Amino acid sequence: MPIARSLLSMIVAFAMCPAVEAQSVRLKIATMAPDRTLWMREMTKAADEVKERTEGRVSFRFYPGGTMGSDSAVLRKIRIGQLHGGVVLAGSLADIDPDLEIYSLPLLFNSYGEVDFVREKMDEVLIGELAAKGYVSFGFTETGFTYLFSAKPTRTFDDLKGRKTWMMQDDPVSLAIVEAAGLSPVPLPVSDVLTGLQTGLIDTVAAPPVGAIALQWFTKAKYLTDLPITYVCGSMVVSAKAFNRMSPEDQEIVREVFGRANTTLDGTSRSDNEEARQALVKQGVELVHPSDATHAKWEEIAAAATDRLVEQQGYDPSIMAMIDELLSSYRTRDSSGTSGN
Amino acid sequence: MVVALLTVATAGCSSIMSSATSGLADNLTQAVLDQNDPETVRQGAPAYLLLIDGLIADNPRNPGLLLAGANLYSSYAGAFVDDSERAAKLSLKGRDYGWAALCRSDKKACGAWSAPYEDFERVIDGMGRKDVPVLYGAGAAWASWIRANTDDWSAIADKARVDAMMQRVVALDETYEDGAAFLYLGILATLLPEAAGGKPEQGRAHFERVIELSGGRNLMAKVLLAESYARLVFDRELHDSLCREVIEADPVAPGLTLSNTLAQEQAADLLGSSEDYFGD
Repeated sequence: MPIARSLLSMIVAFAMCPAVEAQSVRLKIATMAPDRTLWMREMTKAADEVKERTEGRVSFRFYPGGTMGSDSAVLRKIRIGQLHGGVVLAGSLADIDPDLEIYSLPLLFNSYGEVDFVREKMDEVLIGELAAKGYVSFGFTETGFTYLFSAKPTRTFDDLKGRKTWMMQDDPVSLAIVEAAGLSPVPLPVSDVLTGLQTGLIDTVAAPPVGAIALQWFTKAKYLTDLPITYVCGSMVVSAKAFNRMSPEDQEIVREVFGRANTTLDGTSRSDNEEARQALVKQGVELVHPSDATHAKWEEIAAAATDRLVEQQGYDPSIMAMIDELLSSYRTRDSSGTSGN
Repeated sequence: MVVALLTVATAGCSSIMSSATSGLADNLTQAVLDQNDPETVRQGAPAYLLLIDGLIADNPRNPGLLLAGANLYSSYAGAFVDDSERAAKLSLKGRDYGWAALCRSDKKACGAWSAPYEDFERVIDGMGRKDVPVLYGAGAAWASWIRANTDDWSAIADKARVDAMMQRVVALDETYEDGAAFLYLGILATLLPEAAGGKPEQGRAHFERVIELSGGRNLMAKVLLAESYARLVFDRELHDSLCREVIEADPVAPGLTLSNTLAQEQAADLLGSSEDYFGD
């Protein structure tokens, strides 16, 4: 009777230990999401539910709005125990295990159909890899596909010659793409990109539709090349050391509640990007459809960039093979699934 | 933030109204802005909104009245209406009055609000110093509508247009309404942390400029500096000292009394939740 036993032990624990706080776990979690955003609302709601269901034994303290610094700063603070967890981009988790970067390999996915098919199997494999490195994840949350936005239309690959393309600083995937494509990138912090577009320092950027709106980049880069370049997602991770201070029952509650919150946010992001795309068109952004030849050229460059990354980043070949296999089985099954929407 | 964003919109009414046909509207607007009891405004404003509708129906081409309508509807919706559906409806009316005022002010601006962004920006950049009040008033009303529709990506995208209008205002006359346009630029710069593309330091400079231009009388600028900047960069000392400064200040200042009184209420709320936000 495990339930009766745990009930009994709970009663005993309460009776013997009125100071519940002494045993309580308070997890400090950093996130880039600003206070009062949908993201924070969902997280706070989940935290409230956990607190209630664990009768106060597990609580959360969120640091919103990037106050704890960049993803790498957050991961460093988790390592030294100053924070217990954080919401970071999957690519940033490559510091923990390089395989976490694989979803963002260039042109890996052609459509959200492919994303869903692969993620259904692979998310838990990657979560397992994080667990092996001492991190608990409650799932991945989509940010979306990035697309090229440019001041002039990017129809063919040659259109990119001589362009001043922005590249995210310290991002190996972006670097591999621009190098394979022979472009001359302009590395800038993300907060300088709008000014860069306004002054002409750069004229081509990659972003998901929601990002192009939130950061107002579409105002100076009004051509969207309708070809998904990379897939971006994030994850909330908690150090296993902190997580294991909870009882197994409480751990289960946290997994269930935050897993659910993650699923909600994952789905919202998909519809947000669809709406953002329509909003961009209303703002006068023009969709540019690359020709088959251009698409093929992009595939070639993406393959070269991927080869370079595989060599340099040390991804697990078996993980790569699993993803490749899933993709080819999806593509055989649904040979029309290449729309990218 | 809601209250802050919207109450600053009320500033600007009085000076525009002097050119309006109705001295009554002018005096009423001034009375609202100088009110030190927000509850009176909360209860009395709906009657005034109906009055403004009537005056506009009589003079549909009067930019001063249209702007008064834009300001009153959007400020009331943002500062005093808790029901989100009503707030969206009222702020929409404010936004549309603002657009109509823009159109009355400059024929080229008619319909520009829904033109491609580039074309809109060209129209705004072509507007001159005489258009400052309408640029500011219509921009502020538009901002309130966006604030009431943050689940709509088309509305969020429009923040770039408000940005362009407020940039134009400060380029033409940064002292207009003691620099109130900088409050909007400050809010826009601090929506996101720096690592996600925001410009917190630029935001701080914008808020400080309003404090400077208003001789410290605009208390909402200090509240926004605390809420939008100090919280974003996790500076509790600055946050708490700004809040205390606002709470202890005399809210009475011509054209700012209502906004300052609301700022004091908000400062008290911010200070009350400071431990939750900054504490361990």
